Order: sequence, then C-alpha cells, then structure tokens
Amino acid sequence: MSTQTQSPSIALDYVKTIGIVNNGLNGRGFANPYDTAVDGDGRIFVLNRCDPARASAIRVGICSLEEEYLGEFGRGNGAGVGQFVWVVAMALASKDRLFITDEYNHRVTVYETSGDYLSHWGVAGSGDGELSGPAGIAIDSSGDVIVVDQHNARIQKFTEDGKFIAAWGSFGSGEGQFNLPWGVAVDGDDNIYVADWRNDRIQKFSNDGEFLASYGESGYGNGQLQRPTGVAVDSEGFIYVADWGNERVQVLGSDGGFQLLLRGEATISKWAEDYFASNPEEKAERDLSNLKPDLPSHLNTPYHVSSQTEPYFWGPVSVTLDQVGRLYVTETNRHRIQVFQKR
Amino acid sequence: MISNDTSLMAHLLRRAGFGASRDELEEYLEMGYDGAVEALLNPSDPGNMPDDLIRRYHVEQSELRDLPGSAAYWMYRMISTTSPMEEKIALFWHSLFATGYAKLNQARSLLNQVDMFRRSGLENFEDLLLELSKDPAMILWLDNNENHGSAVNENYGRELLELFSMGIGNYTEDDVKECARAFTGWTLGNAEYMSIRAAKDSIWPYGRIAWHFEYRNEDHDDGEKTFLGETGRFNGEDIIAIIVKQESTARFLATRLFEFFAADEVTEGGEKVIHEMMATYFSSGYQIRDMLRTMFHSGYFKSEAARFARVKAPAEMVVGAIRMAGNYQNPALGIEKVSNTMLYMGQGLLQPPSVEGWHEGLEWINSGALLERVNFAAKELSDVKSPGVRSIIDRLEASSGDGVLVPSDLADRCLDLLGPIQVSDETRSVLVDYASRQGDLDLTGHQLGDEAEQRVGNMLRLVAATKEYQLA
Repeated sequence: MSTQTQSPSIALDYVKTIGIVNNGLNGRGFANPYDTAVDGDGRIFVLNRCDPARASAIRVGICSLEEEYLGEFGRGNGAGVGQFVWVVAMALASKDRLFITDEYNHRVTVYETSGDYLSHWGVAGSGDGELSGPAGIAIDSSGDVIVVDQHNARIQKFTEDGKFIAAWGSFGSGEGQFNLPWGVAVDGDDNIYVADWRNDRIQKFSNDGEFLASYGESGYGNGQLQRPTGVAVDSEGFIYVADWGNERVQVLGSDGGFQLLLRGEATISKWAEDYFASNPEEKAERDLSNLKPDLPSHLNTPYHVSSQTEPYFWGPVSVTLDQVGRLYVTETNRHRIQVFQKR
Repeated sequence: MISNDTSLMAHLLRRAGFGASRDELEEYLEMGYDGAVEALLNPSDPGNMPDDLIRRYHVEQSELRDLPGSAAYWMYRMISTTSPMEEKIALFWHSLFATGYAKLNQARSLLNQVDMFRRSGLENFEDLLLELSKDPAMILWLDNNENHGSAVNENYGRELLELFSMGIGNYTEDDVKECARAFTGWTLGNAEYMSIRAAKDSIWPYGRIAWHFEYRNEDHDDGEKTFLGETGRFNGEDIIAIIVKQESTARFLATRLFEFFAADEVTEGGEKVIHEMMATYFSSGYQIRDMLRTMFHSGYFKSEAARFARVKAPAEMVVGAIRMAGNYQNPALGIEKVSNTMLYMGQGLLQPPSVEGWHEGLEWINSGALLERVNFAAKELSDVKSPGVRSIIDRLEASSGDGVLVPSDLADRCLDLLGPIQVSDETRSVLVDYASRQGDLDLTGHQLGDEAEQRVGNMLRLVAATKEYQLA
C-alpha cells in the first residue's frame, strides 16, 4: 500500500519480502534486525540486535536477494573484543569493511564482510572523540565516518581509524540541536542528514556541520513524522525516512516536500514458504484469514494496527538503498526486510 | 514524633499505590487526606516512562514476543507512574480476572487487557464486565472461541458467574448453561488461525499477530433463555445487565476490593465497610471508584486496625522498593531479572497460577519467598548510590541539626523515611542495638559511599529485613 501526492515524481514498486523470525541462536532468519547494508555484489548484511533471550547470538547475518543464506558473524554478547551489547547501525566502507555502532559499549566495531574482526574504537564520555550511545553511522565520499553521538546530542566525524575530526550539535530543538538523534545518511554531495528522533524531524547539514535545512514536524499526516529512526538519500536527492513511530516509510523530495508513503505490504518470503510447506494445517487456516482486519477504536494507533496487521511495517527502523535503486526496509518486530524498487 | 496525618497518608499510599518516598508523601500531604483520595481515584497523566523510549532500547518490549520482556514492560509502568492507583487497580483486576500467558502465547493482547483494566477498572462494573467479555485474551483463555451456537462451551459462562461476579452458590447449573448460550458467537478475529498459533506457540513466519474481538452473528444462539429468573432472547449484554443487579454481585465485588485494598482478613469492622460499599455500588449505579471512595473514607480504613493489615504482594514489595530507591527511571539492562525475581516470590506478572488468580495474604510468605523478598528489598534499599537512598541520607543529615545522629535517632529516622513503618518494641530494640555498635553517626561532609553513608545503607538494609517491612 502506498499513498502519494497528486503528482509524485517518484514511484516505488513492491518487490518482495526477505526473512523469517529466527528463534534460535544461528542460521537463516533474523532476530530483531536493526539495520541492513547491501554491497556491490548484492550481498545483504543484516544487523541482528537480538532480544535478551538471544543476546548471546548478536550477529550480522548475510543473505542474497533470492534469500540464499550466505552466513553470519559475530563474537557474542559482552564488552570483549568483537562483542556487542546493544547494536544500532551499520555502514559499509571501502575494502569490504562494516562499521557497527554499539550504544551500550559506546564504541564502533569494525569487521571485514568476510566476518573477520578488525578493530574497535571509541570510549565513553562527552569530550571530543568520546561517545555516549553511538547510534546511526555513515561513511562520506572521502572515507570519513559520521557517527550520531546520541546522548551527547551531537554529530561527530572521525577518520576511519577513529581519530576525531569534528563535532557539532547540542541538546535542544533549535536548528542544529538534537534530541536523542538516531539514523544518519550522506548524499551524493556529502551533505549529512540526521534523523533527529525525538524532535520528529530530519536535519540536513553540510559535510562540515553547517545547518542547511530541517524537514518534517510532529504528527501523523503526510510529511509529518513520529520518531524517525532512519534516513537514506538516493542519487536524485529523494529522501527516504523510516517514520518509525508512525510505522511507515515516507519519501520526501530534495526540498523536503512530501512525495509518497509506504505502509508495507509484506508477502510470504521464501523461508516462510519453507515453513508453511511443513505446517500445512497452519497455512490452511491462514489462507482463510483476513490479515488486514478492521480494528476497534482503542487499538487504532499505528503501533497497535501494525501489531495486528501482518503485512504492514512493524518497527520499520531503517531504510537502505542499494546501487540499483532498491529500497530495503528493515522491520525489527517482524524480523524481515521488505524490498521496493524505484521505477 | 510522627504525626497521625503522615502515618495515615503513608497508609493510604501503600494501599492505593506502592508506598511513597518522603518527597511524594509530602506532595500528597499538601492535598490533605480527602484531596489525596480524589487525586488517586482520578488518575491523570500517569507520567510514566514513555513507550517510545522503552521501544527504542528494549526490542523485546516493543515486539512482546516472549513473557519476560512483556512482564518487564509492565514493571516499568508500575515503577515510573505518577498515578499509582491506575496500576494498582490494574493489578487488582489482573488478579481477579486472572488471565495467563502460558495458554495464549500472545503478550500484546494480554497487555491490551491490562490497558483495559487501567482505562475501565475504576468505572462502571457493568461496562467492565462487558469489556472483559469482549477481551480477546479472556476469550481464548476461557475457550469462548469454542462456544458455538451449535455446540456450547460453558467455560467462560461458568467463570463469569463463579469467579468474576456473583460467586458460587448464587446461581444454578441451568443459569450457567443459559449464560454460556448468550455468549455464543463472541470470539476473536481470525479465531481459527489464532487458536492454532496459540496452541503451537507459533511465531512463524513474522512474529506474533495480536488479537481483536469479533462477534459472529451466525454463530450466536438467538433463542429464548431463562437466566436468574428472567426470560428473553438474551445476548451477552443482557446477561451482564442481570448479573450486575444481584446483591451477590455487590457483595462479591465489595469483599474482593476490601481484601485487596483494606485488609487480608475481614473482621466485624471490615464487614460493616463492605456493607457500606455494597450500598454505594447500588446508589452510584455500579461505580467502582465510588465504592473505593467509600472504603478509603471509612473509619475502619483510617483506623489502626487496618494499618499493616496486609502482607505486601510481591508486585507491591518489589515495585515499592524500587520506587523508594529511585531506580530504573530510564530503560536499562536487567529489568527482566527484576520481574523474574517477582516470579520467584510467587507472583509472575501475566502468569497467574490459574483462573483463580493468586492466593494472597499470608500465603505470599513461605521460607523461599521470604528469603527472596528480604534479599531483594535489602539490596535495593542499601545501595547508597541510588537516588532515593541519597535523598534519605540528605534528609537524615538535615534533620540532625549538627549532622550527628545518636543510634536511636538513626533507627527511628530510617523507619520514618522508609514509611513511616510501625515496628514492635522488640524489632526497634534490635535496630537500635545494631546502630549502637558504632556509636553516634556523623554525616557532616559525607561523601558518596563513605563510611557514614554505608552505615545508613546498612541500617536501611536492616529495616528492609524486618517482618514489618513485609506488611502494607
């Protein structure tokens, strides 16, 4: 389902759903995924936040668009080398590296996409180069690493080996200020977009931190946001926003104007087909069910609607673009990724 | 000397809330007793930890796939609310209309039921029973999805009368059958698929799907029924309208409210209050809030006889200690462990032992549970880094004038600031003896975690270990 302005200049077609809930500690499927990255070979890396029961298996899973399961890596739960507690986001860098933030350990961990641990950097604090709850992460064209320093209400820029370059922002709701910011993206001109989570807006900065624009306001309507978590910008300047609190994705024009929104339209993934092949009685009843029911008024909030309406996004926490114009929406609560293609 | 006003307000807040820090107590004292009762009975913005913050850091409390995270989610609400009566009344109904996770495997819907208790739990009892009968978690819990016009399942109809309203002995087996017939067709959306998923504990392929009510007219037995002497083509609403008119319903509800909020045992004085509550039930048109108002204003409730006349339920004990210590005000790792601790004490949220709920009063206390309770409260209240304990230390220093407390003052002031808690002479003597071992306490210039502060922590630990601390 998508809602559009009368003459949107962008169109997105639903492609497919990837994923299934993974209730164990390894193998195909996802465990509360928080972010997705796609490399030039089409390999899809999925960052599994994992709930406490499965925390020992915090990991990155790898699969293809065709849902071939390609492997996984991680070193478990904790503060040891290569370990994680509360992973948030991930960015692909040159030389097949993945930079992963951990808001509990206050650091950035670097793995090779092959799964080999490389390094980590960052220490807890509020001084230059110190981190408090690092959330979103992105790499600009010169290879510098942009980190959303959540609890310090600022953006920090580092070299790829963690040397401090610059920082900007403070707590508040004015221009250039933040309230628990989360996701971040870099556009083709190296401008920086921040999902200013608790201010319900996207802020745009130049690469050196000059405030350029702010998009969105609190609300439920088109162009309005509730706790945006993720942001991505395509080569034409369209801004994709994970409008998490509204359980939807919105696409804005390069000027911030509303273009269209997606509510989600998940279908049965390949892995889900495999499950139903061995559970035909469940599938038979499912086929007789209405999975998009009308709900009583007290359950008519985006969160409740999504909790009852399986095809819709539920916990759409990040938006990721690949090199051929596909959009990957990562859903934490549904353990899947819905894929759309720009027409 | 602790004033009676302070003791009475603390008593009210132990019953209509989870106890109170001295700061909270002083806020309520400013309202006066009557004002405090009204504030508690008319919850406004609960100011609890916002859902967006919880969901951001706790994926398990956003998805609610499993029980531990779901129970922890409710814990946060109890810990952080500024409208504690809203949580207490939800806890009351959760215990009375006991619905458990194990059969449902659907925590979101169970928590939606708890939301319904918050929303309607102080309102009209007829409306509440109607909402309960439409609650999808209750429907599946008591098999009303299997209650068809062509094949009646009596489970919900029976418990509605026996456990939820009138009590056994006030209706016949025929009434049960007719009641059940009236609720045929009251089911949940996609009932067949959802019941398969519940039975298999299926989370596949994309996690849980929450539930909503559905009425299937084609599955409803629209025939004539005779229920409690009245005859008609009754549907569920008509049955509830008849139930709430019964004196047995008034007695049942008044007694259960009294036992939960006033005293574990109903004495002669308590019986009089129950009668007054029954009268209010009818005169107010079945308003639960009005019944509680009657109870809170009764001479019995305000009397010494009602003070410390209840054993704290584990939820009251655990949440009260955490609130007093000022912990878990922001999302943090470890909250699941706290809710698990409550389970070890005999009260796992969202997992009552049966449809009869928990057996309360002295049954909360067995040797294993008591050890858990004492250990938990002692640990929570002895950590001098906790904001609530720091506040107590500051108050102790301020109250001492020159910063020095003699041993008996240290014991008495700690008992005061954790309650006031009334203890026996024997208990007080143990506390004073303990304090005397190290002589006077000098809090002048105290620093975080220094020896003087640790002495306060140790005294609070000892108070938390007294039998009197286990009472509400």
